[in-house]
Amino acid sequence: MAETITEKILARASGKSKVKAGDYLTVKSNCPIIFGHHSFDTFMDRGLHMIPRLGVRVFDSSKVIIVDGHGGASSGSNIADVRWAAQKWAREVGIPLENVINLGRGGIENMMSAERAWALPGETFFQGCNGHLSTVGALGTFACALSHGAGAYLMKGTTWVRVPVSVKIVLTGRMPENGVYARDAFEYVLQQIGPMGGMGGVLEWCGPVVDEMSMDERFSLSSSAIFTGAWTSLMNPDEKTIAYVKAATKQPFEPLRSDPDAQYARVYEFDVSKIEPLVVPPPKRHIVKTVREVEGVKLNRGFIGSDSGGWFEHMQLAARILKGRKLPPDVILNITPGTVGILLRMMDTDMLRTFVEAGCCVPDPNEGQEAGLNTLLCAGEVCIASAQTNYPGRMGSREADIYLANPATVAASCLEGRITDPRKYL
Amino acid sequence: MSELKSAQLLRGNAWIFRGLIDIDYEICSYNLVRDLRADTAEALGKFCMVNVDPDFPKKVRKGDFIVAEENMGYGHDHDHGCLSLIGAGVGAVLCESAAPYFLRNSIEHGLPVVELRGVVEAVSQGDPLEVDLAAGRFRNLRSGKQLSFTPPPDFILKMIGAGGIYPLLTRMAQEGRLPKR
Repeated sequence: MAETITEKILARASGKSKVKAGDYLTVKSNCPIIFGHHSFDTFMDRGLHMIPRLGVRVFDSSKVIIVDGHGGASSGSNIADVRWAAQKWAREVGIPLENVINLGRGGIENMMSAERAWALPGETFFQGCNGHLSTVGALGTFACALSHGAGAYLMKGTTWVRVPVSVKIVLTGRMPENGVYARDAFEYVLQQIGPMGGMGGVLEWCGPVVDEMSMDERFSLSSSAIFTGAWTSLMNPDEKTIAYVKAATKQPFEPLRSDPDAQYARVYEFDVSKIEPLVVPPPKRHIVKTVREVEGVKLNRGFIGSDSGGWFEHMQLAARILKGRKLPPDVILNITPGTVGILLRMMDTDMLRTFVEAGCCVPDPNEGQEAGLNTLLCAGEVCIASAQTNYPGRMGSREADIYLANPATVAASCLEGRITDPRKYL
Repeated sequence: MSELKSAQLLRGNAWIFRGLIDIDYEICSYNLVRDLRADTAEALGKFCMVNVDPDFPKKVRKGDFIVAEENMGYGHDHDHGCLSLIGAGVGAVLCESAAPYFLRNSIEHGLPVVELRGVVEAVSQGDPLEVDLAAGRFRNLRSGKQLSFTPPPDFILKMIGAGGIYPLLTRMAQEGRLPKR
């Protein structure tokens, strides 16, 4: 019988010839497990501390990578303690020094996992706490956070999964030329299927629009699956994917793809040709509006970054809009490249000059403002961000408002000090 | 197995919460957790469901059930919400469906989450309920209404019986069943 890519990957990872939705499996991974150093915060992945406490061995310490990814140098919270705790833990349990990606060399963990192809097509891929690990699903990887169970995985080298249903999302038509990006395609789908649309499943993104997308845009599209109620999301690897992975790693891999007649719990098809720039106003993550509906809302803060809007192409987009322009004096715009790799590519262009001359703040690569770890919002502030989450308090004060939008809308809105349609700048 | 079975017979009263219940907002505010640096179930239990019902932590009794609609625990893979439910004394979550991360984190913390079609319809606020996890049976002790579900596999029952994955692994380590460093 025909199978989905998810069933094929989980069958391979569990050593079974065939699996179906609802099966409980014990699975392994040939990829490293990654941790952001936030995992070592006292209230995060508590299980990690059980390993030194019990004196047990990490199943394969060469397959553990810790990335300084969430706080960055300018972090205003307790990140220094967490950074140190991660390093102490790594020494204590015997993680090789080179597997601890330190401040100045890091970035958002799931973005680095894509960029360096730590996640491989046809494989399972795990992290401690990070609901947006679905980002690397764009490589044809089944990726999920293990959160509380991450410590248990390190002790045993396996974890359990209940095979999820697959939900196919076919994007047809052609993305509008300007001002509308993968992020808007995601928000459009969320608007159509709602927060239950992907419930309990894995989103499988397909169709000519996905095929046309660059890898940066595919990662962005795949990064927000949890907001549809899905566990994670992925894509069938194509030539573009394979070329991307081969350029990043020498590790061998065997991609898997869904059979054409595979069975899905649900199939949705959307024509994206006419979508507009979209905005998610506070406080609910799943209520999506067009930029026209919220145009004119006054703001004083902006953030371009995160795994949904902090890729190289998003930096290019922001630079296109900000070049030769200046922010109003009362507007702060934080532009944070997602990884050091992206920052290095930016240094080969004049983007950094553009941002600094426009008056933007450009912290070192990290998740930063997305998770309320630097440039925090105060009560009464209004922010527009290319980030993942807008619930009250996500970026600081509970009395600050967060609007989510694509990077172009963020840049254009910051220039005007109010939410505006970016298309007039493009 | 009989010992396991008796440990899985749960009794308590129902607290119904309707609508979409986000792990980071309705169940327990992530922001608050971060500000308080709250870590224990006891500390987090004081903030359980307060964004929906401010008095919930005071009213709920040990072993009570939360009854919820679809997609219970929607959102991030944060586990503080699961700890907060345990800290408040919730004995199990019965829902039409659960968000995958919430389901995993709860079970690994030793909190049973049962996806049970028709449960919201079968329960009124405050009803006394009985759930036999190992047998896959639900009974409303007021109305007599019964529902059945596929029982979780043994390894999950064991995890729940032990109070979570780490108590289970601790036992394994003490018995020398995990390789020492």
